[in-house]
Amino acid sequence: MGSEPTLPKWASKPCIMGIDEAGRGPVLGPMVYGCLYCACSYAETLSTLNFADSKTLKEEKREELFENLKADESIGWAVDVIDPRELSAKMLKKIKVNLNEISHESAIGLVNRVLNMGVLLTEVYLDTVGDAEKYRVKLSERFPSIKFVVSKKADSLYPVVSGASIVAKVTRDRALREWVHDETAEGMKRNFGSGYPGDPETKAWLEQHKHTVFGFPSLVRFSWGTCNSHFKDMVEVLWEPEKIDEDGSGSGKRQLKLSSLGISTSKRKIEEIESSGKGRCKFFQSRKLEQLAHF
Amino acid sequence: MDEEENLKTGTVGLKLKSESDVPDLTARVHLLPCFVKYDGPCAVSDYFKPKVTGVEVDGLKVEEAYFRGRKLEGATFPLPQGYCGLVLGKKIPQKRKTSDMTESWNSDCWELDAKFQSITYWNHDSLPSQHDTFLRSLHWLSVAEALHKPVTSEQLSGSSIHVEAAAARK
Repeated sequence: MGSEPTLPKWASKPCIMGIDEAGRGPVLGPMVYGCLYCACSYAETLSTLNFADSKTLKEEKREELFENLKADESIGWAVDVIDPRELSAKMLKKIKVNLNEISHESAIGLVNRVLNMGVLLTEVYLDTVGDAEKYRVKLSERFPSIKFVVSKKADSLYPVVSGASIVAKVTRDRALREWVHDETAEGMKRNFGSGYPGDPETKAWLEQHKHTVFGFPSLVRFSWGTCNSHFKDMVEVLWEPEKIDEDGSGSGKRQLKLSSLGISTSKRKIEEIESSGKGRCKFFQSRKLEQLAHF
Repeated sequence: MDEEENLKTGTVGLKLKSESDVPDLTARVHLLPCFVKYDGPCAVSDYFKPKVTGVEVDGLKVEEAYFRGRKLEGATFPLPQGYCGLVLGKKIPQKRKTSDMTESWNSDCWELDAKFQSITYWNHDSLPSQHDTFLRSLHWLSVAEALHKPVTSEQLSGSSIHVEAAAARK
């Protein structure tokens, strides 16, 4: 999603861009990265448009400013909406991807997208994510022709970042307002509040929408610490261990038997809980097949 | 393990109902890459929503779904011809005498609860492929067939010629 695909004339002149995020902290809903760009010569006018850090503005004011900047032909914008399912899945992969990496990749994706449209970006401003200098170096290595300014509170210091924060925040708010639950269970409500873990409305919604087997609807970020306290009251789910044996021999990996997990009614010796596959023909071993006389 | 232990066999008693009484769970049986410590009814179709991706690997049509925040990738596999999947259960004995209970629990008599003709199996973090253990475990079916198929007299005489020829070469 973004401004018109037709490239405006000013885009071939040196341009500046701001990037900002909305919905990094909440336990539910998408995280949105937004960017706003314009010709360097327009930057001064930009500072007169009263963009301020989106968090300090009322919702109606943000909506109004977003409509204004969309109508402004001297401004371009784009967003990257990262679905909560994608956030959870990446953070819960066998090799976990942390939120900072996801954020970096999203920002890099936006720079790429704008460059590929043919916009001549010379300066890009962003807020810190993790260590500011490391982030700046990472970005500069990817895009050597662009000057990056990574700074704390960039959203209140640079109008171009303030504008990007409005783009991101309005997009996230709309995504939540229009959210359609994938789940078809009865009694699925949308009164989830702001999504911040401390919001009483969000807390109550989480409490009402937990499911003993499935956990939560897919709107929720399962990888958030907030969810852990809830998982204690739910059915336990065991996943394959994250790391395989240190010696790296996959075939020697012990297999967890279902019988040890209470699936079998027959009593078994403790030493039989884990099956090493020892003594079995290789054909069966590699296919995880075992002869069973009781079940 | 000694030879004798390897050869142990077991028997399972199965109480059959008439075919029409048994629900068909084809396309609704999912094999997850995790263990869910729960055994009982659950609103699976309300929460577990597999979607077709359009991607194909090794002739397998890849589907995706999410469970407990993990992204799962899987494929639906029809059971080979001549085979059928069964869901078995033991009836929970009614509370009478303690001795009765233990006896019926330990019995190997199972009841047929449902049947199915396909399984959708799921991987966490890897696309389904023919190298997956689940698909590989089914290799046993063709090996078993070859091992247990009655040998015809022609095959027998054919193999004896080979043995003779081999002996003659020595």
